[in-house]
Amino acid sequence: MVSSELEDLTWVAIHGRGVLNTAQASQIASVVSQAGVFAGRDASYYMRYDDSPERVQLPLIYYAVLGNPGIGIVLPEEVEPVGNIFDAVAVLDSSMLVHPTSQRALLLDGVKQESSLVVNTSLKADLVLKLVKKFNCAQDWDGKVVTVRCSKYHPNLVFGMIGALAKVLEDQIAFDDVVDSLEALGQKSDAIAAVKRSHKDAAPMRVSLRAEECDPYRLKSGLVERYRSICASNGGPWDRLKYMELKQRAAEAPTYELRVECMPRWEVLAPGLIEFNQKPGERNIGFKTSFARSFRPVQDPRLCINCKLCHIFCPDGAIDFDPISVDYDYCKGCGICSTVCGPKAITMVHELKALEDADEEEILTIRRALIEFAY
Amino acid sequence: MKAAIKKQMWTGARAIAEAVRMADVDVIAAYPIRPYTGIMNALASMIAKGEFQAEYIVCDSEHSQFEAVKHASAVGARTFVGSSGTGLIYGTEAAIVTALGQLPVVGVVGCRALDDPGNFGMEWNDALLFRDVGWIMAWARDPQEALDMILAAYRTAEDPKVLLPHFIALDGAAITHVASPVLPPDKQHVEEFLPPYKPLHPLDPKSDSISKAMHVAPSLIGPEQRKVLDVAMKRAKNEVIPQAWKLWGDLTGRRYPAFMDAKDLADAECVLLTMGAYSKNLEYVVEKYRGKNIKLGSIRLRYFRPFPAEELKEAVKDTKAIGIVDFSYSLGSPSYGSILYNEVKAALYDMDTRPLIMDFIFAGGREMTIPDLDQATNLLIGAAKTGKNAERPVRWMTVRGEDI
Repeated sequence: MVSSELEDLTWVAIHGRGVLNTAQASQIASVVSQAGVFAGRDASYYMRYDDSPERVQLPLIYYAVLGNPGIGIVLPEEVEPVGNIFDAVAVLDSSMLVHPTSQRALLLDGVKQESSLVVNTSLKADLVLKLVKKFNCAQDWDGKVVTVRCSKYHPNLVFGMIGALAKVLEDQIAFDDVVDSLEALGQKSDAIAAVKRSHKDAAPMRVSLRAEECDPYRLKSGLVERYRSICASNGGPWDRLKYMELKQRAAEAPTYELRVECMPRWEVLAPGLIEFNQKPGERNIGFKTSFARSFRPVQDPRLCINCKLCHIFCPDGAIDFDPISVDYDYCKGCGICSTVCGPKAITMVHELKALEDADEEEILTIRRALIEFAY
Repeated sequence: MKAAIKKQMWTGARAIAEAVRMADVDVIAAYPIRPYTGIMNALASMIAKGEFQAEYIVCDSEHSQFEAVKHASAVGARTFVGSSGTGLIYGTEAAIVTALGQLPVVGVVGCRALDDPGNFGMEWNDALLFRDVGWIMAWARDPQEALDMILAAYRTAEDPKVLLPHFIALDGAAITHVASPVLPPDKQHVEEFLPPYKPLHPLDPKSDSISKAMHVAPSLIGPEQRKVLDVAMKRAKNEVIPQAWKLWGDLTGRRYPAFMDAKDLADAECVLLTMGAYSKNLEYVVEKYRGKNIKLGSIRLRYFRPFPAEELKEAVKDTKAIGIVDFSYSLGSPSYGSILYNEVKAALYDMDTRPLIMDFIFAGGREMTIPDLDQATNLLIGAAKTGKNAERPVRWMTVRGEDI
């Protein structure tokens, strides 16, 4: 589809993690689309069906689309040229700010020029903007950033988020329609009051970003040519070394497009769903799963008695034996190590908290560790 | 010694078991359901007598049975499995990944009606459940061919160009429980025909460190995996299966056409078509009608997957009418026809002049008799005479009551 065909659409992407966020994203999307219907527009909402958010902490995306795109479900990657799609991006779990999306894309890939980023977090908007520049944007963007601490308004984060979203979408959706749709969907008065309070409090910060200011853009433009030449060999006949090379490139690709180009074609696959692992003692670059993590284990070496329990219990083999240390490429943040740790030498720290105190160099190091796996 | 003296009176079950022994299979997973039971019994007694060394696993169900061979094959063993009817359906979950994992398991299906509890008559629907998921499927005519097919199946399945699981369908008791003369191949012929299985990438920590059948994200690698199987199936059809049967003929002198057997086809106006053991009955009827100067012929498909569409088109290009003698049903399908009927129709669709195609459904497990077949043949000849498509191309045979 050509993006000019979709100019009349109001398109909201909602990002979260895990099964609870799935239900919440669905609820938010339903309220947004119901409000659109009350305003006399066509509407649809749907999840990315290829996400697997029923697995703990894996990222997910819901879309709410107001207006009629002409086909049943329209996905951002169908729109050409890529970009100019989303009116608002809502983030239910702030650790998404330092990871790729469920589609291994950047959070702000494809936003419209006048669009908004709404994040459920206690961080200030200017720190969110710093993270956006580091991790989430590779294009020009004149938009708004809103941070909202949803739990301040209601135990269910849905309502705080709806209030803030309604604020930034005011031009497209009347707030009265949002309230009507909450009532129509059977929400109680305390929930509606929470939405109203959050709507009133929301204070969008204007942002004007140039692509050159953003790290992902610089990373991408430096690598595109190099990747193109490597991906030219993507084809038969089957060759193990070529397969490993392509897999590694796909694992490290800085953008969604480059990653797709590096994904092995069928001619390059070994017969029979085979995955080649590393040598004993090494870990498989094809299965880096750190993107599922919102809390990370942090070790206090002064308390560690070197009992190796964390190494034994880690279900992902992400803790090295000697010396005990966590490989953050593979840690999914399940927290089992901190639970079994007798002397409480391992504590779980939120990803953003771990970043907050870090200097520029450290942030980049962590980012590299978070680069997503091939498949 | 004369060849006739070397022939053994073996049931199909025994012939299959002997083939498995000759193929020096490493792992056998078994769970009883008739008519397959005869094969596992024959294998068990061979192993008990010390004639044959293999890991013989009596599983707790068909599901475990198919899982066991799948995993054994993944570590590099040559494996054998089999089942019948609803038991086979219970094993199908593992059968899907066996194909996707490109594990050359060889199995037999002793075709049996799907329950109706207690119905052990012959129907193809159990075997045909596998038709879309990447198993090579062959139908044997008699114990001799069943034996030969097992050996050819291992050769085909284990070919690095193919690497697909393979089963031989046996028309129920008509093969497994019927004894007929079988000439066992010489040992050195088998050794030359079927070298030991050398898996490309076995699950073996001593060699390569690999994972098999890992989680597949649909948007990233799902289509590519299916395409790999598609190409493997094409290679089996175009190269590996024809070469295997040519070599088998050269070695043993027993020559089979690779995909399709025919009788009196050259000038035939009407042709009966089927697979498996009941092709003998068709040939009997052809001979009888030829005696009455009626130009009837018969075709027997030896492989259902890959389907020999090109061969079939070539064979029937001068034919007026084809009658499918079919032991399957596909309720609600196009024309309400059976599975083989619709497959043949699809295969012949792009011919310049298509013959009339009729479907004679022998479903439900009731034995097909020669008078039934006569009746079907007369219907076919009558339809061919009118020169246009029969009003009712699909007929349910042997059914009491009106066929509406």
